[in-house]
Amino acid sequence: MKSLQKLLVYIKPYKWFAILGPLFMCVEVAMDLLQPTMMQHVIDTGIANGNHAYVIKLGFFMIVSAVLGLLGAMGSAIYSTKAAVYFGTDIRQDVFRKTEQFSSRNHDTFGTGKLITIVTNDITTVQNAVRMTLFILVRGPFLFVGSIVIVWLTARELFPILLIAIPILSICIIWFSVKSGQLFQKVQEAMDKVNTKLQETLAGIRVVKAFNREEFEKSNFKTVNDMLTKRNFSAEQIIVSLMPITMFVVNIAIVGGMWLGAIQVNQGVIQVGMILAFINYLHIIMNGLMSMTHVLMQITRSFPSADRIIQVLDTHIDIESPQQPTPVSEIRGEIEFRNVDYSYSKNGEYVLKNLSFHAKSGEKIGIIGSTGSGKTTLLKLIPRLYDPDSGTVLIDGIDLKNHSLEALRSAIGFVPQKATLFSGTIEENMQYGKEHVTASEMEEAAELAAASEFIHKLDGTYDYTLMQGATNLSGGQKQRLSIARALIRKPNILLLDDSTSALDAKSEAAVQRALKEEFPNTTVFLIASKISSIIDCDQILVLEDGMIEASGTHDELLMKSSVYREIYRTQSGKEILNYE
Amino acid sequence: MNKASSSGAENAVARARGPRGFGGPVEKAKDKKGTMLRIWRYMKKEKWSLVVSIVFVILSTLLSLCAPYLIGIIVDEYIIPKDMSGTVRMLILLAGIYTASAVFTWLQTFLMVNVSLKTIRVMRQDLFNKFQTLSLRFFDKRAHGELMSRVTNDIDNLNQALSQSVSQIVSTILMASGVIIAMFSLNWVLAIVTLLIIPLMIYTTKKVITYSSSNFIKRQRDLGELNGFIEESISGIEVITLFGKEEQVFTKFSSINHRLRHSARAADTVSGFLGPINNFISTLGLALVIGIGALMTLQGLATVGIIAAFVTYSRQFYRPINQLSNVLNMFQSAIAGAERVFEIMDEKPDLQDKPNALMASSFKGDVEFKQVDFRYSEDKQILKGITFSAKAGETIALVGPTGSGKTTVINLLSRFYDIDSGEIMIDGRNIKDYQMSALRKRIGIVLQDTFLFSGTIMENIRYGRLKATDQEVIEAAKMASAHSFIKHLPEQYDTPITSGGSNLSQGQKQLLAIARAILADSDILILDEATSSIDTRTEIEIQKGLHYLTKGRTSFVIAHRLKTIENADRILVIKDGTIIESGSHMELMGQRGFYYELYDSQFNI
Repeated sequence: MKSLQKLLVYIKPYKWFAILGPLFMCVEVAMDLLQPTMMQHVIDTGIANGNHAYVIKLGFFMIVSAVLGLLGAMGSAIYSTKAAVYFGTDIRQDVFRKTEQFSSRNHDTFGTGKLITIVTNDITTVQNAVRMTLFILVRGPFLFVGSIVIVWLTARELFPILLIAIPILSICIIWFSVKSGQLFQKVQEAMDKVNTKLQETLAGIRVVKAFNREEFEKSNFKTVNDMLTKRNFSAEQIIVSLMPITMFVVNIAIVGGMWLGAIQVNQGVIQVGMILAFINYLHIIMNGLMSMTHVLMQITRSFPSADRIIQVLDTHIDIESPQQPTPVSEIRGEIEFRNVDYSYSKNGEYVLKNLSFHAKSGEKIGIIGSTGSGKTTLLKLIPRLYDPDSGTVLIDGIDLKNHSLEALRSAIGFVPQKATLFSGTIEENMQYGKEHVTASEMEEAAELAAASEFIHKLDGTYDYTLMQGATNLSGGQKQRLSIARALIRKPNILLLDDSTSALDAKSEAAVQRALKEEFPNTTVFLIASKISSIIDCDQILVLEDGMIEASGTHDELLMKSSVYREIYRTQSGKEILNYE
Repeated sequence: MNKASSSGAENAVARARGPRGFGGPVEKAKDKKGTMLRIWRYMKKEKWSLVVSIVFVILSTLLSLCAPYLIGIIVDEYIIPKDMSGTVRMLILLAGIYTASAVFTWLQTFLMVNVSLKTIRVMRQDLFNKFQTLSLRFFDKRAHGELMSRVTNDIDNLNQALSQSVSQIVSTILMASGVIIAMFSLNWVLAIVTLLIIPLMIYTTKKVITYSSSNFIKRQRDLGELNGFIEESISGIEVITLFGKEEQVFTKFSSINHRLRHSARAADTVSGFLGPINNFISTLGLALVIGIGALMTLQGLATVGIIAAFVTYSRQFYRPINQLSNVLNMFQSAIAGAERVFEIMDEKPDLQDKPNALMASSFKGDVEFKQVDFRYSEDKQILKGITFSAKAGETIALVGPTGSGKTTVINLLSRFYDIDSGEIMIDGRNIKDYQMSALRKRIGIVLQDTFLFSGTIMENIRYGRLKATDQEVIEAAKMASAHSFIKHLPEQYDTPITSGGSNLSQGQKQLLAIARAILADSDILILDEATSSIDTRTEIEIQKGLHYLTKGRTSFVIAHRLKTIENADRILVIKDGTIIESGSHMELMGQRGFYYELYDSQFNI
């Protein structure tokens, strides 16, 4: 509820639409309310007195009021929709922009799946709730209050009936709304369980089959399915009673109205037409209440969505460009880590512990180590995807936090472990690396990344369109494009996260050679699992449990690092007796 | 779910007060009759509830038809003549009718909800069970999201339709015919006037729906594009950040978002018109009835009571007619959804046990492939004439470039797919002679793409053998070298794994998958790149465990690090779907062929 209120600032620019929508609705409601009164007059004044002209006059008024009502409702549809859709669009803009500014740590706290759901479904849900509120929800109270007022003004004699009926109706409806909100939340939880189970068995169908667990999964599904049915049933049980109960209350009120009316007609206080008008107003009141209840139920369901949206908007972005960055003409690529600690969770284990090393500009640094030793994390600290918990990372002797983010990142070429390409042409993907890229530059980068050959076999070469997730390329091809994209910016710092693993030995060797020959001044960090990939590096860091176990050239490490020797032994099959 | 629940609420609104919204173009079923018949077969079990419920619909509809008639009589014959005791008597009758009507309505909806929920539960379970019987070939062809939506959206829509529209259609038809009869018996001129409005109503509804359909399609298209774009950019945000492309991505997003703003406004506005227009037409009808009625009364052709009754009748008449188109639409798309559900239920599992399939309790482990050909789809042959044999207890390694068909060989041995020609034998019998469940039970497999289920670490390892004790699970974890990292997790073996295992590294997941396979304790073992994301040192450590595991069992190992398979009894080199070399490590090195080159390139330090 609070979150929804917070989101209301987004309606401010469209406040006139948001006011006009309900205002126009007032016109329709007013006209709807006038109808029974006019009818009453037709009967009581026109027909009873045999006044021909009066009947025709009022008939004409009724039609005019119907037209006005129609225009009002249409106006309301136009403006309410406008306000709600524009409101949703603006929120979407801001939320998307915010997610773009997120640091990787911010991103991790939400998770990719949840963020996507927020930007797509949750915003639409809130937008629809706003539209419903402006267009339908206000109708209910208007009709409700309007009817009561009119009954008070024109059929005061029958008003006591309302005094009894309205409180009963209101209590019923409030109770039902609250109750059904609670019950449907439980239904939703059960539904989520069914969906999770389903999604998992579909994604893991091979495992299910390999382990012959079909029956097991069926019985698992039965449990969640039965739970869903049970909860649905207890929720529906309540919901289905609402309609008959309100109908009953209103109908009994009609009987009461007729009884009270008959007495007063008997006494000559009122006329028959008033009873008929009263019955009509009761119907209007009921409809107003019912539609209000149903819309309210839906609006209640948008609260959690609003909460999630606000969560995104209120997230404190933990990595931002400094206010006054140290002016640097060009980043040369000298990198130093000083006692860097890093942990993904606040009280979790440290992934990097007191890490220090120094890389001179233009050096080629190899990083090797076991699974989970912190290689990728180390690399991600350089473009400031994450900030260290303590210690400093310096580039060209200046703390990373004092570099402008833009300047820093534009000096870095990064090739992630998993090649992420975007839908669009190969050229568009290359433009990620460098904006105004020429054909010859593209060709050159592709050549260096051993990608040129396969690109030329594709339809339209650089205009070949990739599908979402680049599913129309093989893993090795994606990786080569990802490398080419990094190389095309001629970066001063190049970070390769085990990115040559999907390449065959020959292509890998070619890429390695290209790095050495074409990028002599670029500082290169190369994570590898194979010693052969990093054997020629100026410096190799051996990572173990988040610490540097040893560093040095290949030959030095063979002498001083037992971990490195072990890796070498497992990969070459040679015992290194001569060093021991 | 979202979609279903909102359409439910919208429908509830419509029920309360004319159709206010319009859910988009309606999809039509191909074989409506057949599908309805099948839905009926599901509902049959609840036949009696259904019959009783429909009886109640009829009763409550009849009663609510009586009420206005009675009101007219009360006004004309009792209130106007000022017969007070008569009035009270009649009002008690009216109250009785209303009470009975409410009770019947309640009973009817209660029963109907019950019927539909029970029906839906069985259907959902059946669909899920069907998924379990279908082969991988089926899942290869379809997107998960699409299959998911059958179980969630399609079945939910059917639930809505069953619990609401069946009784609504019955009551509307009954109500309409009842009202028509009552109106004609009261005053035929006014009855005709009331009916005159209906063609107009149907015509405009059709027009508005046609017009808004095109808008809806545009909106749906823009929304789809935007969602796709959001998905892609949020998943790839790291790369966008690294290459500093936030501005450009945002500009593109913004332009799609604004296109959506335009089309969403158009679609929602037009659909918002539908309710008011129908409301207008029915008011017009009402005015017409009153006007003409008044004139007739003046001439003595009608009475005030009759007008009163007509006012109530026309309200009772127009609203359901308005709704009927909505309900019919809902019903139609539910049928179309049900058809999609049945489509899957009709899917013939292309792998089935033979009638007298053998229930093998254990395998010795002799495996033989004879001239096996296989293709996943018509156009591309994956395996050509694969022939080899493995004696019980041997370790066979499969090597070759990506896409050469190594994993396929293994898929075929587990009978995930059936071969096109040739024969696969275990212990001298064709694998088709064995029950599939028995076959897979005796084959333990560690897949390249390790998949873990949500649940604890303990539960995930236990997936290998459901009856294993905690101690056995821990033993298996130790053997797979997983124990050491599990020990360091916050809740050790009880640490929950989020769906898909995103809180573990790829390597850790592989260790768990290995532990799972160790626990399964099968006769034939398959390791498909089981250690690809594990660093070489841990790999060596696991090798010890695996060595113990493979002892005495026929094992198939796929590995891209050739070091790990040097000791295999036989190495099959597969390239482009054929075996090009085979032999022990030493033999193959001696041949100086493809294997030699591959090995050399990896160990050329």
